[in-house]
Amino acid sequence: MELLAVFPPLFGFLIAALFGKQIGDKGAQFVTCAGMIVAALAACSLFFTVILAGHPYTAVLSEWITSGDFNVSWALRIDQLSVVMMCVVNIVSACVHVYSVGYMGHDDHKARFMAYLSLFTFAMLMLVSADNLLQLFFGWEGVGLCSYLLIGFWNHKHSANAAAVKAFVVNRIGDFGLALGTMAAFVVFGSVEFDVMFEQAGAVAENTIEFFGFELHALTLICLLLFMGAMGKSAQLGLHTWLPDAMEGPTPVSALIHAATMVTAGVFLVARMSPVFEYAPDALMVVAVVGASTAFVAATIGMTQFDIKRVIAYSTMSQLGYMFFALGVSAYSAAIFHLMTHAFFKALLFLGAGSVIHAMSNEQDMRKMGGLYKKIPVTYALMWVGSLALAGIPPFAGYFSKDIVLEAAWADHTWFGNFAYWAGIAAAFMTAFYSWRLILMTFHGPPRAHQKVMKHIHESPAVMLAPLFVLATGAVLAGFIFYGGFVGGSHHGAESGHEEVAQEHHEEEGPHQETFVVTKDGVHKKEEAEGHRIAWDKESFWGESLFVKDENDTVDAAHGAPFWVKKMPLLVGLLGIGLGYLAYMFFTGIPVTVVRIFKPIHTLLFNKWFFDELYDRLFVKPAFKIGNVFWVKGDQNTIDRLGPDGIARKTLRTAGMLSRFQSGYVYQYALVMMIAVIGIVSWFVFRGGYG
Amino acid sequence: MASQDFLIAYLPILIFMAVASVISVAMIAGSLLAGPRKPDAEKLSAYECGFDAFSDARNKFDVRFYLVTLLFIIFDLEIAFLFPWAIALGDIGVFGFWSMMVFLAVLTVGFVYEWKKGGLEWE
Amino acid sequence: MIDFNLVPLLPELFLAMAAMGLLIVGVAHGNSVTPVICWACAAALVVASFLLFGMSWEKQIVLNGMFVFDNFAGFMKLLIILGLITTLALSVKYLEQERISRFEYPVLIVLAGIGMMMMVSASNLLALYMGLELQSLSLYVLAAFNRNSLRSAEAGIKYFVLGALSSGMLLFGISLIYGFTGSIDFGVIRGALEGLEAIPFGVTFGLVFILAGLAFKISAVPFHMWTPDVYQGAPTCVTALFAIVPKVAAIGLLMRLLYEPFLPVHDQWMQIIYFVSLGSMVLGAFAAIAQANIKRLLAYSSIGNMGYALIGIVVGTPEGAGAVVLYILIYMVMTAGVFAIVLGMRRDGIAAEDISDLSGLSKTNPIQAYAMAIFMFSMSGIPPLAGFFGKLFIFQAAVSAEFYVLATLGIMTSVVAAYYYLKIIKVMFFDESIEAFDKDIPFARRVVLFVAVAFLLVFVIRPEAIVESAQNAAAVLFT
Repeated sequence: MELLAVFPPLFGFLIAALFGKQIGDKGAQFVTCAGMIVAALAACSLFFTVILAGHPYTAVLSEWITSGDFNVSWALRIDQLSVVMMCVVNIVSACVHVYSVGYMGHDDHKARFMAYLSLFTFAMLMLVSADNLLQLFFGWEGVGLCSYLLIGFWNHKHSANAAAVKAFVVNRIGDFGLALGTMAAFVVFGSVEFDVMFEQAGAVAENTIEFFGFELHALTLICLLLFMGAMGKSAQLGLHTWLPDAMEGPTPVSALIHAATMVTAGVFLVARMSPVFEYAPDALMVVAVVGASTAFVAATIGMTQFDIKRVIAYSTMSQLGYMFFALGVSAYSAAIFHLMTHAFFKALLFLGAGSVIHAMSNEQDMRKMGGLYKKIPVTYALMWVGSLALAGIPPFAGYFSKDIVLEAAWADHTWFGNFAYWAGIAAAFMTAFYSWRLILMTFHGPPRAHQKVMKHIHESPAVMLAPLFVLATGAVLAGFIFYGGFVGGSHHGAESGHEEVAQEHHEEEGPHQETFVVTKDGVHKKEEAEGHRIAWDKESFWGESLFVKDENDTVDAAHGAPFWVKKMPLLVGLLGIGLGYLAYMFFTGIPVTVVRIFKPIHTLLFNKWFFDELYDRLFVKPAFKIGNVFWVKGDQNTIDRLGPDGIARKTLRTAGMLSRFQSGYVYQYALVMMIAVIGIVSWFVFRGGYG
Repeated sequence: MASQDFLIAYLPILIFMAVASVISVAMIAGSLLAGPRKPDAEKLSAYECGFDAFSDARNKFDVRFYLVTLLFIIFDLEIAFLFPWAIALGDIGVFGFWSMMVFLAVLTVGFVYEWKKGGLEWE
Repeated sequence: MIDFNLVPLLPELFLAMAAMGLLIVGVAHGNSVTPVICWACAAALVVASFLLFGMSWEKQIVLNGMFVFDNFAGFMKLLIILGLITTLALSVKYLEQERISRFEYPVLIVLAGIGMMMMVSASNLLALYMGLELQSLSLYVLAAFNRNSLRSAEAGIKYFVLGALSSGMLLFGISLIYGFTGSIDFGVIRGALEGLEAIPFGVTFGLVFILAGLAFKISAVPFHMWTPDVYQGAPTCVTALFAIVPKVAAIGLLMRLLYEPFLPVHDQWMQIIYFVSLGSMVLGAFAAIAQANIKRLLAYSSIGNMGYALIGIVVGTPEGAGAVVLYILIYMVMTAGVFAIVLGMRRDGIAAEDISDLSGLSKTNPIQAYAMAIFMFSMSGIPPLAGFFGKLFIFQAAVSAEFYVLATLGIMTSVVAAYYYLKIIKVMFFDESIEAFDKDIPFARRVVLFVAVAFLLVFVIRPEAIVESAQNAAAVLFT
């Protein structure tokens, strides 16, 4: 089953990429979509066997590297965490695949597009099902590559190419950290296998490591390096500049890669490494602070942008910030919960935006929209669903996950926990505001588009709307249904019983999970003592895939947060929506006035806090300058001249000399032979040592 | 040292070579030193039955001269082998007899080839 | 008494009789029967190889210690016979095209083959010399076989004069060895040398001359000067023969000589071969770059390849010896393939021999171009082709015996050599295409081409059988 969940996308990719011409666009679309749907169904079935029945296992596929005491194999680690991720990835990816059939209907390279999408999905699945850091790195680079290819899919557009390169380079910085982290992990643990690392994490918690002459706490170093990778991939503050630019790619790509799946790889990485992060509290603090700052900063920028996709992109970044500060306060399950719900409603928003763009003949600027709600009512309704979920309005999914994240932050009772909570509240307010700004600017008000465009507007075809409904269902129900399983406790209504429930869970904790290994001769399993039992509380839901130290368990503590803490997010969300209505529906003069009054702040926000300009000044320009110096002076004038070019020239000269030596006269040849013999004899004579 | 004794057995040859070279060098050197030398135009000109030379003395020979010479040497050597063989035939017995027959047969093949090729015809 | 067991000589005897018989047949019917004689000679060689297979490959020494037959000799003889058959197959059509289709050609090849087989079976310095001379004399004639061509005649005379010089050196060396050890029998020489406390200078002296004579035969630097001229001048099919077969015999002979009688003076010959090997690799790599004629280029290539093979001999371990045998085998296949293509380089009935004549071959004749590309990649030692493994085993042997300098230089020169191999590929695939070559490629040449390509490609899948038999063959030299 795990093979069926992971490999169909690969086959889809291979068929579409290699035989795209033979089977035609229709064939490629069919093959890849079918592969994805099969994989999605397989992932759902894994959800039942692995999570509900509580049977995690590892399927070893083959040996990969065996070098000295460094052993790595290809293996699928099918535990609760990876299955959750696989479900999310496969379902969203299947939706996006189907959606793309409609969205890319006018494109000339459908087969290539579908192939890339499938390849991406496969790489993502390899990432989430990795059983060691190296395989994870393989998937990590794979998704990075596909992201690059898909951002630059319209490679005739200069801006798309530039964005693709930017995404690749910025991610490279993060990947460098990830690679270093992997190496450091090998140094500390002697292995990059998760099982080995997790087992030893407690034992090596006090170890230090020599790094550039500093004595550093080993686990903190590893975690920070890994987090650096996560920052790059998940566009956290500092390494986030590529994400908004990545919106140059086709919208389905934005939905799949830059909202629902790839960008959450960083979150997944930290959650996966939770047993290690738990022993590195300093690293967790960094994660929380970076996450909270990202959530806040991205939200502020989101309020000022006019490109519909960029607004959603900054919203994505902001939500990723939520997930990270949840991780930072050890609320891993809450982070993954938010990841899951976010995947649904953000993919929905993106695809909805795509539907709008599709209807508007590729117009992305919200200032040129308006008054669309009558012409594309279905899209309009679905955008509402997505926005309600994003703003955290009950009973939509975002409400449950965002609240538990914020409560966990509050329940951490540390300075960075509090910081995260208040930054999160502020961001929640802004989120609601810009969401309604988006809806109102796009769908309400007078039409601002050209007459011809307005005439042309039409609702998207069924093939595009159907996936939207699937995602909308997720955006509505996922939070409500999975709340208990993901983060424990019943939801908000039943706080009273919480204490006892938590108590029970603590008692139940213990090594009652078995790891199952699939070998060729079948599945070896050990029945749990209590037999099959539907796992619908946090501890048995996650099994051993997430690890939280008892004293850090903020998710359980969160259920006991005071009333105001719990209701604050909802309140600010409603406030934000109200403000949005005020500013963009009823008193449309407000935004202009506000912008005039707070000119400097608006400039700062509108220009994305000048991150791009700063980086350009700080890194890009000096890098070009230094590069130029090295290139001209170092490479061309020194290394090339003395190295390759010089040696090549010398070689040719030697060759010419040697062939001139070949005079063609027999007597000279004979002479050479005689000289050689005499030379060899003389060598022996002068070496001496003969009787 | 055994090899030393072994080499000493060849000492007479060495002495012979030394004596031979000393004598020949002495004769050449003697005539060179003692002989009178008074060259004049007549003495230095080429002499051919009272006439000046008609052509260069180095001219082309027909290659068949060489061919015949080579063939002669081969069969001459064959005969040269036959003499000691005939003398020793009593000692080397049947094996020796047939060895020579094989040798002659191989040579005959060569002879047939040469004949058929026309190596023995002058024109 | 006289040892009259001729069974181990059966293949040679059979070939000798066949050669003489076919000579008579040929002379009776004239040059019109040349193709028949060629195939008859090839058939005789096949029969000889069956005889080889039928014999016991246990070590036997016959003819009063003149002739030895063992696993090594058997393996090398098989290679020689294989090479001869390949050359014959490649030649038939070419001889007709060049109008030098004379019946002596195949007979001379068989006679040279007998000489080579004698060489690898020699267990006595005189038997060695006899085999060598039989081979050399035949080859001198073959080099000048196109007697209407000035170049061919020049090649023949050069080869003959220098060959005579090298034979003289060899004989002089043999007489010195005889003088100091009192014998020409390999076993006795070895015993004598082992008995010596200090190696007399005369022995070293003799060794130098013997090795000089033999180095000439494998065209190793600095006794290589004849190679480019002779390769270029001789008819291409003869060049193919020169490049493929005599090397096998001479390397086999060298191995037997150095590992059996002269093992006790390993220190001495090691220095000579070391130098010769180094020189060959360097010269083979560098001088070839400046060549425009493909036959000259292949001459330098063969010089370089002999340098690599000699590394394995220097090492002096069974591992190294096995690597040499394997290397020679792979070298043989690659060279045969290359010549199958070079022989087909003709435009309007005129042979084209320049590298630039290959321009754009990939468009005019893609199959040949790809085959040639495979040979070139294999020669430059690019995995997974067989040529890579040949070099790999050699360098492994060198490294495990701690000859780091040789191994490093070997790798460096093979990088340089890759330049001209890849240049040919570049010319074939990226240069403007010129007029196509003549299309009539005979069946035999196609077969050779196909077998060579298949061998080089498939070798990687199951190398064990071949590698093991090569190692087993070489191992008997050390027992």
